[in-house]
Amino acid sequence: MVAQAPSAVVPRRRVIGGGGRWVPYAFVTPFVLVFLTFMLAPIVIAVVNGLYSSQSSGLGFGGAETVFVGLRNYARAFADTDFLFSFVRVALYGVVQVPVMMVIAAVLALLFDSALVKARRFFQFAVFLPYAVPGVIAALLWSFFYQPSVSPLVQGLQAIGVDADLLAPGTVLWSVANVSIWSNAGINMIILFSALQSLPRDTFEAARLDGAGELRIALSLKLPMIAPAVMLTTLSTVIGTLQLFNEPQVLQFITPNISSDWTPNMAIYAVSTLGRDAHLGSAMAVILGLVTLVVSLVLVRFTNSSARGGAR
Amino acid sequence: MDAKTLSGHGWRRRTAIITAGMLSLAGLTACGTGDSGDSGDAAAGGASADGPVEVDFWGWVPGLEGLVDTWNADNPDIQVSFHRMTGDDGQKVEAAVDAGTGPDLVQLSTHNLPDYVIQGRVQDITEYVTEHEDNYTEASWASVSFDGKVYGVPQGIGPSGMMYRTDILEQHGIAVPTTWDEYLEAARALHAADPEVYIANMSPGEIGQWVQEVQQAEGSWFGIDGDAWTVGVNDEASKQVAERWQTLLDEGLVTTELMWTPEYWARVNAGDIATISYAAWFPVALAENAADTSGRWRVAPMPTNEGSDNQGDSGGAAVVVLDGAQDPAAAAEFASWLNGSDDTQDTLITEGGLFPSTKNGLASPALRQEQEFYGGQVINEVFIESAEHTPSTWTEGPNWGTAQTAVLDEFAKVVGGSQTFTEALDNAQAATVADLEARGLTVKD
Repeated sequence: MVAQAPSAVVPRRRVIGGGGRWVPYAFVTPFVLVFLTFMLAPIVIAVVNGLYSSQSSGLGFGGAETVFVGLRNYARAFADTDFLFSFVRVALYGVVQVPVMMVIAAVLALLFDSALVKARRFFQFAVFLPYAVPGVIAALLWSFFYQPSVSPLVQGLQAIGVDADLLAPGTVLWSVANVSIWSNAGINMIILFSALQSLPRDTFEAARLDGAGELRIALSLKLPMIAPAVMLTTLSTVIGTLQLFNEPQVLQFITPNISSDWTPNMAIYAVSTLGRDAHLGSAMAVILGLVTLVVSLVLVRFTNSSARGGAR
Repeated sequence: MDAKTLSGHGWRRRTAIITAGMLSLAGLTACGTGDSGDSGDAAAGGASADGPVEVDFWGWVPGLEGLVDTWNADNPDIQVSFHRMTGDDGQKVEAAVDAGTGPDLVQLSTHNLPDYVIQGRVQDITEYVTEHEDNYTEASWASVSFDGKVYGVPQGIGPSGMMYRTDILEQHGIAVPTTWDEYLEAARALHAADPEVYIANMSPGEIGQWVQEVQQAEGSWFGIDGDAWTVGVNDEASKQVAERWQTLLDEGLVTTELMWTPEYWARVNAGDIATISYAAWFPVALAENAADTSGRWRVAPMPTNEGSDNQGDSGGAAVVVLDGAQDPAAAAEFASWLNGSDDTQDTLITEGGLFPSTKNGLASPALRQEQEFYGGQVINEVFIESAEHTPSTWTEGPNWGTAQTAVLDEFAKVVGGSQTFTEALDNAQAATVADLEARGLTVKD
């Protein structure tokens, strides 16, 4: 039987394969092409661009030529304290925004998963709906809530004696965070909720028989069991934080307290469009990409080790 | 919205004027028209021997569609297709030109022109347009000429004036200030009489208002000294303007809303802001956005500095032939007709809200119409006078965008209270010089 097996398998493989070795390559070609064109090529172009600079001489009316300048653009980027501080700003933003968002998403998901909520589908839809609103539109909507003269929110607060300036230098960061939480809590909730729904119900039944309450089940059973989904959503939220752009870019139109280089992405945009230096912009984009990569790797590593810890 | 875009500079804040919903629309249109680079290709390829020449033209002045139709009906050999610029189209032009898919003709703030010349994004059209030079004001022609070559056809300028609430000033018995010293006195008296009312709004996002006063004081952000640029973002004139606004700000006599926001217009409509000094294209925007205050505004010359009758100008625009245009002669011919023909002046003035840079435009009766919103005043008499008193000391430079962004970011910190205008100018000066040097340009102190 052992001897026969190969002869039984080989002809069958021939029939199914039919075309030889190139078949698997043919199947992955579309992916590889798209990957090369839209993922790898832009990165390579940005890296190369970042090593060049458009140089003129004298008054410049003799025209400009593109010359190789090595790491000079990187030196300029690292000498730009406003650009560096924009990383600090999004870090501060992330430290607050990510946990708040994740707690809201997790609490909502757990509530929807429990039997406590009536009209579950309606509320789920309501929580998810903001995600369907494009980020720019969401920021526009909220911009009306933030401007005192047109805001029912600010006027309402004033009516009860609270004088709130939601666009002041100290508060605008949290106003931006609010927009992004409003927009994205829904999708994170859905991901966590799906993870919860796929958990085996008999475990909870057993816990209930042992006398565990719903809260205890949620915190001690459900949450640890969906840890991978929590980590996934956290990771994508952290990356979104580093790439913060839409919300502050729109809110910039209604408050001077968001500068043109308020987040790393905005700084890149300002340098390459308003400042017309795509080479410096490329170098800054590469820096942002590397920072994002490092942060992601650290997070993934942390996730893996904590997952192993959980398994132990 | 469109009147505002006339000045063309400050694209970043420009979009802000658009009320929120429109901003999104503008964004969407901008995306949608992103593909219209295709029509640029078509136009480029259209200059064949047998068919008519096709010219692709991007601009923002209201009413251009009608003028283009008129041209196309009369000129079967040169057919123009028009694309209305919205949102960040101004920035898209550069990428499109560099990629070889740009339009043939584009409307451009003259602040940005030197950079376009240096980057080789515009064509020298001296030979096609020189014959029309006599019809343009000296200053506007100078704004499109570099190194003895002409790179565009001027389309409108922005001489300054002061729009003021005559009812508010009268109510408190305050005379219309004619000098900046009187302005400060008026500001104090007004705010003392009614703490809800401020003499002006100091928008940390509106570069044109700053530039017109710097120009009035005979300053210039840029200059040419032999084979080197000079940078004067913090020159004496600018510091004089800085001190003026520092005093007004420190004494709490001005609001600091970003211009063009709903918040700003709410305050204008509420009568919180008594005067607005801005360019000749602004009155149309004011009438549109503060319709309820009709009849209460008048226009006077912008207050002057002691011992001078100088006015300022926040910047003009030009129509330029971009690199890659297949038939620059045809494009320049259309541009010359559009901006300079007797047939177009009235439309550009009344529909477009342009303040003309042409002599036939300045002579047009359309410019001298009574404005109901301004109590029947012929407001352009003020702006015509202003244009005649604008000093020719301002020079455009190669990195307007960087300088503007730097100044506005620094001004935001000023109204936030963390530094003074003078410090802001020093910081912006350093950033501007550093950027020029990084481009390899020679900068002289």
